[in-house]
Amino acid sequence: MCHQTVSLAARYLEENGIPTVIMGCAKDIVEHVGVPRFLFSDFPLGNPTGKPHDPESQALTLELALRVLELAPGPRTTVQNPLIWSADPDWKLDYSNVAMLSAEEIARRRGEFDRNKELAKAVREKSAAE
Amino acid sequence: MTDRPDGSDQAADHDVPIPYRERISTYYQTLGYGAPYRWAHFAGVPFAPLKKPLSQSRVGLITTAAPFQPDKGDQGPGAPYNGSAKFYRVYSGDTAIDHDLRISHIGYDRVHTAATDSKTWFPLPLLREVAKAGRIGALAPRFHGAPTNRSQRVTLEQDCPELLARLREDQVDVAVLVAV
Repeated sequence: MCHQTVSLAARYLEENGIPTVIMGCAKDIVEHVGVPRFLFSDFPLGNPTGKPHDPESQALTLELALRVLELAPGPRTTVQNPLIWSADPDWKLDYSNVAMLSAEEIARRRGEFDRNKELAKAVREKSAAE
Repeated sequence: MTDRPDGSDQAADHDVPIPYRERISTYYQTLGYGAPYRWAHFAGVPFAPLKKPLSQSRVGLITTAAPFQPDKGDQGPGAPYNGSAKFYRVYSGDTAIDHDLRISHIGYDRVHTAATDSKTWFPLPLLREVAKAGRIGALAPRFHGAPTNRSQRVTLEQDCPELLARLREDQVDVAVLVAV
């Protein structure tokens, strides 16, 4: 939901006159919503602002985002960060890919997901009551 | 039979941006969760041009990361998804000081990301540096946390107006939004 949330927020801010740039790793979600400016890093979710323990990559990524903010010629401008996560692209096969999971693992995750949903619901109800 | 030249340095066919909507939809269908989620989708996209150079602009920062809450279970590197660490209201923090923001409430890639370096999702220290260097005019006095709500209506009607109001209070010229 993170990428959808910031995409909706960017649109809202732009409609109200504030230029934005999004830094993110889920290209399809951001572009499906439709946003003004987007720096896409083709990294695993969780690394929208550079590689871990790699200050140089983080500085480059922020600088690219600032350039997208400055230079985008119009809406739906996506620039892809040229940095590569890993020479081996196989990490892209793993995320939420049921084709990679056994029946036992799917059953285990089903139980775990149910428990987390209950926890989140309790927090939400508590927050709404405040 | 391939049409590629021998010794090609071209990328593997699966070396493309991950199709998250399709992956997530199939995943939850398989886990037994009803109708697929309908993601927000617009034909028209707004665009506000910069009013002045970045070197003279005040920059606001928006994050979906959450403040660490010691009483809310494991939020550390490698923690499993932690729904209790979620937040449901916009929050703000002083950009002059450091903050311990976590992402255990988010569906990040736990297989390929250890989440041991918050600078990969919260660029506040770096933004302070670029402000000091004059690359941007100034960093706004506060950053703002955006709740990641499944309900687009709640995001649009409750959280977006709140974010806008806070950015206006901070007199920001432009905003950087980081999606974890």
